[in-house]
Amino acid sequence: MSNKLLEVKNLKKTFGGLKAVDVEHLSFNKNELTSVIGPNGAGKTTFFDLVSGFQQGDTGEIYFKNKKITKTQPYKISRLGLIRTFQLTKVFDRMTVLENLMFSGSSIKNDSFFQSILNTSSSKKYESDLEERAFEIMQDLNIEKMSESYARELSGGQKKLLELGRSLMKNPDLLLLDEPLAGVNPKLAEDLLEKIKNLSDQGITILMVEHNIEAVMKISERVVVLAEGKVIAEGTPQTVRSNDKVIEAYLGTAHE
Amino acid sequence: MNISAKWITTLVLTFSSLALVFVLNPDGQLRILANLLTFAGIYALAAVGLNVHFGLTGLLNFGHASFMGVGAYVTLLLIPHAAGREGEINENGLPFLLALLIGIIAASLFGLLLGLPAMRLRGDYLAIVTIAAAEIFRLLVRDLESITGGVYGIINFSSALQKYRPVFFDEAVISLDLAPAQIWVGLLSWISVFLVLLLLKRLSSSPWGRALRAVREDEDAVRALGKNAVWLKLQSFMLGAGIAGVSGVFLAFNYGFVETTIFIPLLTFYVWAIMILGGVGSLTGPIFGSIIFWAIISETDKIASLIFENADGQQLAGVRFMLVGLLIMLLMIFRPSGLLGKKEELLLNVK
Amino acid sequence: MIDQLGNGLLLGIIISVASVALSLLYSVTRIVNFAHGEIIALGAIMTLFFSNPVDSRVIYLDRFSPLGLDFVISAFLAVILCGVFGGLLELILFRPLRKAEVGNIAILVVTIGLSIFIRHLYLIFATGRVQNFPLELERRVTYLFFDMTPRNFRVLIAGIIVMVLIGLLLTFTRIGKAMRAVRDSGELASISGINSDNIILITWISSSMLAGLAGIFQGVINDIRYNMGFLILLLVFAGTVLGGIGTSFGAMVGGLLIGIFVQVSVAFPFMEGHIEAKNAVALGLMIVILLFRPQGIFGQKERIS
Ligand SMILES: Nc1ncnc2c1ncn2[C@@H]1O[C@H](COP(=O)(O)OP(=O)(O)O)[C@@H](O)[C@H]1O
Ligand SMILES: [Mg+2]
Repeated sequence: MSNKLLEVKNLKKTFGGLKAVDVEHLSFNKNELTSVIGPNGAGKTTFFDLVSGFQQGDTGEIYFKNKKITKTQPYKISRLGLIRTFQLTKVFDRMTVLENLMFSGSSIKNDSFFQSILNTSSSKKYESDLEERAFEIMQDLNIEKMSESYARELSGGQKKLLELGRSLMKNPDLLLLDEPLAGVNPKLAEDLLEKIKNLSDQGITILMVEHNIEAVMKISERVVVLAEGKVIAEGTPQTVRSNDKVIEAYLGTAHE
Repeated sequence: MNISAKWITTLVLTFSSLALVFVLNPDGQLRILANLLTFAGIYALAAVGLNVHFGLTGLLNFGHASFMGVGAYVTLLLIPHAAGREGEINENGLPFLLALLIGIIAASLFGLLLGLPAMRLRGDYLAIVTIAAAEIFRLLVRDLESITGGVYGIINFSSALQKYRPVFFDEAVISLDLAPAQIWVGLLSWISVFLVLLLLKRLSSSPWGRALRAVREDEDAVRALGKNAVWLKLQSFMLGAGIAGVSGVFLAFNYGFVETTIFIPLLTFYVWAIMILGGVGSLTGPIFGSIIFWAIISETDKIASLIFENADGQQLAGVRFMLVGLLIMLLMIFRPSGLLGKKEELLLNVK
Repeated sequence: MIDQLGNGLLLGIIISVASVALSLLYSVTRIVNFAHGEIIALGAIMTLFFSNPVDSRVIYLDRFSPLGLDFVISAFLAVILCGVFGGLLELILFRPLRKAEVGNIAILVVTIGLSIFIRHLYLIFATGRVQNFPLELERRVTYLFFDMTPRNFRVLIAGIIVMVLIGLLLTFTRIGKAMRAVRDSGELASISGINSDNIILITWISSSMLAGLAGIFQGVINDIRYNMGFLILLLVFAGTVLGGIGTSFGAMVGGLLIGIFVQVSVAFPFMEGHIEAKNAVALGLMIVILLFRPQGIFGQKERIS
């Protein structure tokens, strides 16, 4: 069978007259770490929104694990194993770090009203396993000391870590990271990049939007360049780096 | 302020507000106390329900009166009662508990209906929709006179509940020179408050409660993590509305009649005041919030007499509502976490 | 149906003016003002206070004696007073809250408390009775095909003139442009030249003056009561939502449509014998619109979910 995990065809999204996304064809293979780059307003976030179901495209089809997921609700897409993070970090501010993680990992059955009232020994066991897993992830991300802090007390960088950790609680097959390094101090950014690389090595397919070109070039296996909603280049970091259109889009003024 | 200081303040305020009743009323204190505690129990129950909506889930519900109304009307219409201008008594009816159960379910379903807009609407829009829907409910109840008694309301239903009063209870209450019927309603509503709180204590620390809090914090993130935020919100709407339904039933029994002007938006605002006073998101907050609130309310006429020499009914009502409005404003401005709310989990400062 | 159209236009002009005021305030400050109804009532109550002849006691306390001024002068004074009141609310209450970074939801709850407080102040100090302005009774006349009294007709015309004026002011004056800029960008900081605090203050003042005017219209067309503003508030919300929250033109048309809809709905076959429930129909319409076209008829598509 094909090695494609995610495929989009003829995907278009306009706001008023503005073409935010206009992608003819793109596919992403299993186990690959791909970066999506492009100037501000290129349509990267909108592309993520479309893929994860948070926005509806005007036309086009999206396939995940060979299943058509166009016009599917975000939570259903997520249940298929496609987990995204947000450019503007969305943590549960007035819940503790531990609760943030445990909520994420908790199953639908465990979350249910009646299960919660009954609070059987098996659900207690489930919760304690969940907690254990949450602590593993916190240790891995170096935030276990914050486990009882409210998420809103974290620094911007720590929130990014928490959001990543929260996604990992879901054991995703495909992880979409929207600017995971933005606002993170350089030291932490380096760690985080390392983490992302490790996750990729562990077999999670990753699709990442990032402005830090050096970082992107260092860890990506493949780079997709968007400008004004269109794919203007794709390939290995080396080929993309030397592409004229990319240089123009980033440095030239022709595209504003 | 740490937890114990918060509790000490709360208890001191609660007892001193009750002591005020004794100081201000040379005679009949016990009666006044019984009356205010009955109302306090009923409204505490409503505030507990509202806290499920707003405190736990962040839903800006301003239609609470309609949930209370649905619970009350459905229950009363199912037990023996007399409705409308003619006031013909309908002797046939279900036993109280069965009717109450159906009333609760009806209130929950109305919660589900009102929750549907919550699927799509942001906070302030939801506030407008819920208050409007509650008014629609009220206007329709008033209009459907043949069933609901319209402006004439429903009467003669009290015995369905009062007939379960044990003899020793009556004797004890009468020996205190109090009205058994009212004390019975008050007792039952406080028992309900505690039962509901036991249930909620379990729920709010459970995975389900955690999920509702997550919805309150960030719906998009909840969806991105594969959870059905809409369904969670609807469940919250149903649970809170069901609790409000019980409160509405007791309110009706406490009055001994029911008609549409009981369920005006001001009722909702009363409940909001109590919830904020007790502390948004605090389980036990509504208990103390409600007692203090009603202690203040029951002394309105004394306060009014400071302003007017001989206040008439209208001025008394005016002073009472002014106090409620002032209380809501002052709390929101100076102490939005109320008596027992957690500052760290303060919801009301959300942008 | 045609009979009701005249009534609908009259109710519509009240709601329309009040909706524009509400919408203006919302678009600049993002405050959903539940106390809007009380400012509406203030316009009517103050006009009554100024215009009533001295010998008729309307004010509850003997301490205040009515003045018996000319009606138009009274109305003019009342509108100014509403503006002052709105300005004071901003200066004393809402500006400090904004500076303390109090959230929108908290402010919404504050406006509810404020609404309850002021409304019952009126009950105590103004009047619990239903009253009318000291104006002579008039017979209805037919204009085109609407039946209404000449006075009500003048109210309608005045309302339309006010609307046109607002439109012109918003389009052509510096402050109007600034308000629209604030509305469109949703960003106060981005406006250069005019201090954002001043824009908000002026918005409060003008919104309150308009609300007061709407109250005077309501007093002329119907009557004056302490809770007249609250009674009409939900319809004003409906008008604002129908036109599209945050668009002044939308609020004008939305308000008019709601007024007409409420009155004309009385003539619908299914409404026979259910006239009391006519407001329910308009509120239901508002909910349906919020669900299926949340941006209203004229609003830009804005994310509100
Ligand atoms: N909800 C929206 N309404 C109107 N325009 C939007 C909306 N969301 C995004 N846009 C526009 O679409 C374009 C792409 O935005 P976005 O996907 O956020 O870009 P990126 O993430 O690459 O910086 C931008 O020009 C942006 O202004
Ligand atoms: Mg982006």
